[in-house]
This record gives sequence, structure tokens and C-alpha cells, in this order.
Amino acid sequence: MAKKPTEGEHGHRPPAPMVDEVSDFEVLEMAVRELAIEKGLFSAEDHRRWTEYMDTLGPLPAARLVAKAWLDPAYKKLAVTDGVKASLQVGIDWVNSMPTNFGTPSDYCNLRVLEDTPKLKHVVVCTLCSCYPRPILGQSPEWYRTPNYRRRLVRWPRQVLAEFGLQLPPDVDVRVEDSNQKSRFIVLPMRPAGTEGWTEDQLAEIVTRDCLIGVAVPKPGVTANAKRPVHPAVHPVHHDH
Amino acid sequence: MSKSHHDRTHHVKKATGKGDPQCFKGEAGPPKFKVGDHVRIKDLPDLFYTRCQVYTRGAPCTVAALVYESPAAEDEAWDNTDKPEWFYSLIFRQKDLWPDYPEAYANDTVETELSERWLEKA
Repeated sequence: MAKKPTEGEHGHRPPAPMVDEVSDFEVLEMAVRELAIEKGLFSAEDHRRWTEYMDTLGPLPAARLVAKAWLDPAYKKLAVTDGVKASLQVGIDWVNSMPTNFGTPSDYCNLRVLEDTPKLKHVVVCTLCSCYPRPILGQSPEWYRTPNYRRRLVRWPRQVLAEFGLQLPPDVDVRVEDSNQKSRFIVLPMRPAGTEGWTEDQLAEIVTRDCLIGVAVPKPGVTANAKRPVHPAVHPVHHDH
Repeated sequence: MSKSHHDRTHHVKKATGKGDPQCFKGEAGPPKFKVGDHVRIKDLPDLFYTRCQVYTRGAPCTVAALVYESPAAEDEAWDNTDKPEWFYSLIFRQKDLWPDYPEAYANDTVETELSERWLEKA
């Protein structure tokens, strides 16, 4: 019997594989991508530039938009009525930007900014897939794309928010925004107490990605998303093959 | 292999510099519903592709806004952009979607968008 590959000559293990498993959808994406390159729809170089561009996107412009809206009532009005126009002032051009200059099919150019009030809390989900305002928020977190979040948020919003650490009193109404056509959404949360006199930079720091999705609210001193504990399944599925 | 006669670049030509759904502006004709209308989601048959969630079907709701004009997702999935429709932002009471939603939170809502073909007067 051959020597076990895990015990090398020098007593160390070979590097672990980069990914444990490639999903069917990733295989499908690769197949379609390679076909598209072969047919000349775009080049491998185009693809590399686009993916690298996507990796540069993050939630900072949206945090800036919220901070500006807290400080400037006229800008807040613009943000709520025309999110695409308001995005220009934080450096995001939904229409004339990479890769397509008309919004990719998953980032249509219709941003809506949902304004929370003392009596209404918004939270965003895409129950169909993973629609997300990528140009202004970057790539969605993994949990946002899970069937667990997508299925349960529309049905049990208060319970799911509580799991995120956000317990809402009964006199605050919850509005779940199911983003599954051509609009994309960010939440404009309430400006928290204890931030009086703060600058735009200070305010932008407490508007985390989770606040912009609506599963958290800004708090002075909190500038990062809460850690998401991963619980092992109670009754895990066993694969025998 | 023979060349396809279908122009796969028509959407690029139409949308570049304008944006999607902005590029369909003015193509849907007069809207059938207005803000505040009480409507109901039709349970239309769908073949192969739809973006109308099952949980909304048959449910009453209120028109919150007319958001944009665009071909319905059910058409656009097949590259059929001939008949853009008005899209509406609709607000559903949770109680109308899930009968056992807690009474204590009677004013909780879900908002989502659908195209005109899915709506009828409630």
C-alpha cells in the first residue's frame, strides 16, 4: 500500500485545497464564461478587469450618503427621491461605470433610499436570489445570499432581526423590502442619540454595511459589523458518497 | 457554424449611457393604476421563468409608487422587450400574507415591486 499522501518526506502536510467544494452554479458560471470568451463576447482580459473592479467596491460610499443626509436636509430629500442622482455626490455613477455603462443585469440603475422613522424600520432582502446594490455597497455578505435569511426574513422579520441582535419594540413597525425586480435598496437609518455635533467623517464611520441592509442600527462607538456566530446544524445532513 | 441573425447587442445599444430601466422610459403608455389604489396580485400561470413570488399571489396590497417602465421580467428573460409595462411598488400587510402573523404587530408590512400584468383591482 502506498504511503499516505498526507505524510510527506519532510514530515509536513501538503497545502490544503483552496476550496472544499465547487458548487454546481460555479461550474455553470465557468462554463458560460469560457463559452463567452471562446465566442468573442468578451476577452479573458475584460473578465479579469471586471472582477478586479467588482472587488474594489464596498459600503463606504453608501455610509457617506447616509452621513451627508443626516447633516443636510436638502441632500436627504434628494437621496430619498432620486438615489441615483444622490449617489453622484458620493462618487458613485450608477449609469456610466464599469463594466457595461448601463448597469449590469444584477445592478440595475434604480437605487431607492429607504428612510427609517421613529415608527418605521426598513430591512432589505431578495427572496428570489441575491439582488444587492453592488455599485454603492460592494459584494453582499454570505448570509444575505443564504436561503435561510431569504426565506425567513419575509415571514418572521422580528425574530430574524433579533438573531442579528436588533430587538424592536412593538410600537416600531417593520417593513421588509423584497428586492426582486429592477430597484436596488439601501436603508437610511435614524441618526442615533449621542452624535450631536459630529462631523460627516465621524458619522460615516458608524454607518456599517449591516445598518445599510437594515439588520442593525448605528450606535456611537460601533464601527464594524457584529460577528455572526456559525452554529452547527442540530440535525446535519449526512452524505454517504 | 452559421452566424446567428439575432442581434444580441440591441440592449447594449439602447441602455448605454442611459441605464436600465431608464432606457425604457415613456414606452409603457398610460399606467392603469395610481398611488393609493387597492389591488390584488393575479395568480397567473408562468412557464419556465417568473419573478412573481408565490407568497404574494392572490394577496391584496396598496400601490405605494409607480417606479419605472420596463419589459416584465417574464418577457425579458426571453429577450422579448417589445412591450414595456409600468412597474409598481406595492405594500402588503403581513397579516394578509401570513394569516397567523402575530396580532401585536398588525402594522408590519412587506414592500415589493411587480409589473402591471400581475395586478387587478381589489
